[in-house]
Amino acid sequence: MSGLPFAGIHVLDFTWYAVGPVTTKYLADYGANVVRIESAARLDGLRLAPPWKDAQPGVDNSQFFASFNTSKRGLALDMSNPRAREIFLKMLPWADVVSESFTPKTLRNWGLDYEKMRAIKPDLIMLSTCMQGQTGPNRDYPGFGNLMAALSGFYYVSGYSEAEPCPPYGAYTDFIAPRFAACALIAALDHRRRTGQGQYIDMAQYEAALHNLAPMLVDYFASGRVLGPTGNRSDRYAPHGAYRCADEDGHERWIAIAVANEDEWQSMMATLGNPAQDTRFATMIGRLRNREALDEYVGALARERNAEELTVAFQAVGVSAYPVQSCMDIHRDENLEAFGFWQWLDHKAMGPSPYEGFEHRMSRTPGSLRAAPALGQHSDEVLSEILGMTATEIEELKREKVIY
Amino acid sequence: MRSELLKGLRMLDLTDEKGALCGKMFADMGAEVIKVEPPQGCPSRRIPPFLDDQPGLDNSLHFLAYQAGKRSITLNLESADGRELLKELVKRSDFIVESFAIGYLEAIGLGYDAVAELNPRIVYASITPFGDKGPGKNYKAADMVSWASGGAMFLMGEEGKPPIQMSEPQAWLHAGAEAAVASMIAHYARQSDGVGQHIVVNAQACGVWTLMNEQAMPLLHGDYLRRNSVYTGAIGGRRKTVYQCKDGHISFLLAGGAYFNSSKAVIAWMREEGAAPDWLAEEGGLKTLTPAGFMAASAADLKELDDAEEAIQRFFLGKTKKEMWENILKRRLFGATVANAADIAEDPQLKAREYFVKVDHAGLGREFTLPGAFAKLSETPVGPQGAAPQLGEHDHEIYGGVLGLSNREIVGLRAAGII
Repeated sequence: MSGLPFAGIHVLDFTWYAVGPVTTKYLADYGANVVRIESAARLDGLRLAPPWKDAQPGVDNSQFFASFNTSKRGLALDMSNPRAREIFLKMLPWADVVSESFTPKTLRNWGLDYEKMRAIKPDLIMLSTCMQGQTGPNRDYPGFGNLMAALSGFYYVSGYSEAEPCPPYGAYTDFIAPRFAACALIAALDHRRRTGQGQYIDMAQYEAALHNLAPMLVDYFASGRVLGPTGNRSDRYAPHGAYRCADEDGHERWIAIAVANEDEWQSMMATLGNPAQDTRFATMIGRLRNREALDEYVGALARERNAEELTVAFQAVGVSAYPVQSCMDIHRDENLEAFGFWQWLDHKAMGPSPYEGFEHRMSRTPGSLRAAPALGQHSDEVLSEILGMTATEIEELKREKVIY
Repeated sequence: MRSELLKGLRMLDLTDEKGALCGKMFADMGAEVIKVEPPQGCPSRRIPPFLDDQPGLDNSLHFLAYQAGKRSITLNLESADGRELLKELVKRSDFIVESFAIGYLEAIGLGYDAVAELNPRIVYASITPFGDKGPGKNYKAADMVSWASGGAMFLMGEEGKPPIQMSEPQAWLHAGAEAAVASMIAHYARQSDGVGQHIVVNAQACGVWTLMNEQAMPLLHGDYLRRNSVYTGAIGGRRKTVYQCKDGHISFLLAGGAYFNSSKAVIAWMREEGAAPDWLAEEGGLKTLTPAGFMAASAADLKELDDAEEAIQRFFLGKTKKEMWENILKRRLFGATVANAADIAEDPQLKAREYFVKVDHAGLGREFTLPGAFAKLSETPVGPQGAAPQLGEHDHEIYGGVLGLSNREIVGLRAAGII
């Protein structure tokens, strides 16, 4: 889209599942011309995963896929077919960026690598992202971000005690890596503009994710200490935890509260009408030392209260607090609403529905979301635009199941 | 060696912990990142835990990790002279990232509009807990509170117990990294016309972006996920994702679809070792799993899966983490060890890729090991550019070298409590 920062940047995007698509989504939502190359013979697993429109499975019915692939166009090409690979190589001079997120053996099997592509397009930028990187003994390790979250330490620091981990939800590291990958990719585009030089980016989800546990790793290397899970215990806030409030419409509600110092504690207690309290809670050190009793005490005070009202009251006096929002609550959260976070998009197969929007807002060049492609939705358009193919040629390729 | 990727670009980092990772990523990419600290030091110098449990301005592990490679200057924004010094730096900088309460910088004449008049090219990112428009725009948020607001905390923990956060808090890292991406996008945009802009990052929204496909479930399927300990919502809503082994834990999921081959391979392994119960040892055992996945399960199907999980748990209890990992690789299981810092530090894969990087901390007289390049770039390698700075370590370098103040002037500013 003209006027947006990446207008005129062309991307051939083989990425699938989450890390790659969310990375190239940053480019697409900011105006790059991103052609998502998919194979109907080997579908992106997200197309097969819920939520689906009307809870009905179908390759074009997954909002999971649609949410991670906004603003891209879809070309369905069966890359296991040599003719599809020829088509890809013919499209290559058009591309500024090629991105892929398979295990490394996939591109090897297709006979494609950066060197071969660079011979055709000398200033190409290529991003490969996989679990463990393109080199090393475990490079072909397959898996999802939930497994990587275990391997890179996040499961270990999650839980009430060391007896059993209580992992973070889902493919957690899938939502760390894209921001690192997008920075690398945009910086590489900037570098190319200044120097004319392309490059190859080898991104291991593992190596990006470990940055979110850096203090723990610095500590281990320096002192040999292995930090484990401590529930909601904090060494700097007390109280610090989630406390159950009154249920609402049969739903459990909790409030998260973190009190940093004496002033905040006094303000919090005043807000609650200065109820009687244990002398052990009179000082910060006392509160830190008697966390369990403190949690019980605060829990009892919160139990009959409304989580939202308590939040407003605490925040009014400078105490850090917020309801522990469920996936339902975030859709009626007035702060997300005011930020304009949810955006309605009209998807070809699914029709209008709300999507996660931007986590930031730009004053001058705000991004813009367009609905994700149905499988092969733009095959004809893209091949005609980039390669000048005629309708007859495209029909023939469809008959041969080279494209869909 | 400073990375060539963003060499020549300068960022003023006015954040506390809420934006620490943004500047760290820029430093790793070769930008000169100046951490502007109040004379008593950035509050993030006081985040526990500390190195060897010894509090001290240089000893916070958070600070050692997320300020590495930055320059530190002291500057008192509460003084008119301090603000003038910052304005001089603004004129010579490309990026600002800040995380003050909304309105604070405007009130002291350093909001975006004022700064853009001094330097129209500036890319100015404000990191906020809840955005700048809603009723919560002035709310405070400790990391856990932000984590709660975006929906991630609700999904962690056991039913009947409070929701929990990770013991290494995550919310502000996502917000910092988001500020880095947005700043890069705005930087790319200004390369064509020389004009910068203001970015507002919303940490709550960053949290929502970790919810994967759960965020849309209430709208399309009419219900939402509850925290469920080690269980996932696959098949019957209660499939185990964590198993105990001899010396720790393993992540593994018994399921169909993408997990079908992996599930079959574990059962084959159990058969090889004579550890599969008779019903599971027969060919065709565990008939509930199919390559196509599994949508609706009968009570009998669920019973069969529960029994299979129990048998697998018994089998894994006889294996060490190391044995498990070797077999995960050999048999191509969708599995992973629940690794701790020691396991990660010793991982042969990371060693083969020379991932970890040592940096010298002159002030503490020790060497630290940091996570290395977040990606390997063939022409412009990135990675840690040095240790975390001591408070005001670069006052002379920046005030002298960049602003051209004399040593006497710097001494005078220090005596006046301005720097």
